[in-house]
Amino acid sequence: MSALVSKVCVVGDFCVGKTSVVERFVNNQFSDKYLTTIGVKVDTKEVELSSRGITIKLVIWDVAGADRFGEKEFAYLRGTDGLIYVADGTRPSTFDSLNTLISQIQTRIGDRPGVLLMNKNDLIGQWKVTQEIKDKFSALVGATYSTSAKTGEGVEDALTNLGEQIVAGQLS
Amino acid sequence: MRLSFPQRVIEYLQSSFSTDLSPACFAVDADLNLLETWGDARWCGLHDLPAQTPLLEKVPCLLGMLDKQPTTLEFVSMPDGSVAHVNVIPDSENFFVVLLNAKKDHDTLQEQQQAVNELKLLHASQTRLIGRQRDLIGELVEMRAELDHRRQAAEQNSTQKGKFIAMMSHEFRTPLASIINYAELATDDNIDTNTVNKCIEAVTRSAHHLNSLVEAILDDARLDAGNVAVNNEVFELHSLLQDLAEMMAPMAAEKELSFVSLVDDQLPNLIRADEIHLRQILINVLGNAIKFTKIGGIELAATYVNPKLIISVKDSGPGISVEDQERVFGAFQRGADESASGAGLGLAISLRLAKLMGGEITLDSSPGAGCEVTIAVPVSNVADDTSPGEPILSAPPDETHAEKSVNVMVCDDDPDMIALLEFYLHRAGYSLVISTNGREAVSKTLAYQPDIVLMDCNVPEISGIDAARELRRNGFERPILAFTASKLSDLEKSEFSAYFRKPVPIQQLLAEIKARTH
Repeated sequence: MSALVSKVCVVGDFCVGKTSVVERFVNNQFSDKYLTTIGVKVDTKEVELSSRGITIKLVIWDVAGADRFGEKEFAYLRGTDGLIYVADGTRPSTFDSLNTLISQIQTRIGDRPGVLLMNKNDLIGQWKVTQEIKDKFSALVGATYSTSAKTGEGVEDALTNLGEQIVAGQLS
Repeated sequence: MRLSFPQRVIEYLQSSFSTDLSPACFAVDADLNLLETWGDARWCGLHDLPAQTPLLEKVPCLLGMLDKQPTTLEFVSMPDGSVAHVNVIPDSENFFVVLLNAKKDHDTLQEQQQAVNELKLLHASQTRLIGRQRDLIGELVEMRAELDHRRQAAEQNSTQKGKFIAMMSHEFRTPLASIINYAELATDDNIDTNTVNKCIEAVTRSAHHLNSLVEAILDDARLDAGNVAVNNEVFELHSLLQDLAEMMAPMAAEKELSFVSLVDDQLPNLIRADEIHLRQILINVLGNAIKFTKIGGIELAATYVNPKLIISVKDSGPGISVEDQERVFGAFQRGADESASGAGLGLAISLRLAKLMGGEITLDSSPGAGCEVTIAVPVSNVADDTSPGEPILSAPPDETHAEKSVNVMVCDDDPDMIALLEFYLHRAGYSLVISTNGREAVSKTLAYQPDIVLMDCNVPEISGIDAARELRRNGFERPILAFTASKLSDLEKSEFSAYFRKPVPIQQLLAEIKARTH
């Protein structure tokens, strides 16, 4: 196993496309069928950080959708090096849920490298993401991406960015 | 509570637990290298692993999970599709990893959660649709109200247009019929000259009436198109009011109505305002007063309350009910008396002109008690309209100055106007002879033989027009320039070398005097 192995957790409300984002990232596949996640799904993917000339292996924990976390969910987050926050651009309520989750996570485990994925940008005509929302989450998370698990847009970039953040943190 | 169970129960529980959860146990060191295996791990693909196998590669969820305290993770889906409850139990330097097959429970739970989530999505979608439906209904209601409003406006417009066409048809036909009939009568060989003259007068009257109708309609159209601008210039207010009185008094007299003009002593003479608009407003209002009054009379009163000129026109006519008062200011409206002649545009145009000038028109009336229309428009009193240290009148430009000795006869009964002309003509190097009435102007002109005569048309004794005629009859051939506040007929214009509408454009007048005398 590579020397650089990091655990990252994917969190967000139900049906925002967390599993689809991971499936796109890990297996470059997408399915329109919605299948809810129970517990957690664990997968791995090696990411090349060309700017640093190194590879990082991400152990990706795809946590079941929730609008707030309990003890069971926090157990999944134990030892995580980074967080992938996912919201659905067509459902403003999923940004509210994410706001709650971010607040809970930061209180419980402190700051961790993170990226925000505003997902389903293939349905941009139905998007309800206002500039106010973008500004707010940009301030909360830092790196925000408009992504589509369906087309793959933004997914690779977002996770590579997270890998960069984690490596930068570990090297410092 | 006793924690020990009978052996048979323990055997049953072990059997049941093993059957349902297929426990697999792995002993690992602190680097997650496999030390020993127990149980059946085929269900999670971890069977037959040799010692020292790095278990993290097979079970990546173990990353960071080794702790001094036992840890349990429920429903962990492995990359191979198996689902386990993962238990990590510390044991001295090493750890036990116990995996329990949770696939059955996972699938049951997933089925239930799937239904719940889909229901939530459906509910959210319904809520969105209901919101959208509500928005659409709101838009529909607004759109319908707007359409209703437009339909009503269109219907009203159509009705008004229909009424207008019917009315104008009647209004135009009457004078046209008169013109046609009198013109035919005038060509009859059997009528005398006197009758022919009467026919011509009747034709002229009808033509003037038609002209005024057309003018009113065009004025209204120009106002609608926003093509009417305010043109403020200095003019003589007293002269305007006198002109109007002279114009309206005979019309009132024809109907045996009295006509009184009351001018406040404090009313300034030289003011800056739009004379043409003000004249039109007053003609309309006075014309209406005379038209609708059958007995009694009309009173015109003018006062100045800085900065407003307030002119009221009071009549002893039938009055206007409160319901009709707003309506009479609308286009093509005639109050209660629908039989009255005219386009019904007079008051509407007057109100719009007054507003254009920054003023207003108000109406005070009740049925049987006559009517008082008050026009209030802001004007500049020229006497006050100067900045400190700035001369009231600027000197005439050099190019208008006389270059030889020139005598000018000025005939005007208005001392302000005479003072104004004196100011400019003296500074331009002209000599003046003044006269304040027509007869005196004739005698002085014939006596002094000035190089040019400036004649106000409305002067006492004999009018400026008659004075000019008399001068020509007596052989005076030098230029006579006329000033007038009203239009001159072609015949009247022919008596003069040139004429100027009041307020007189001074620079133009000086240029004209120089051109005709040098």
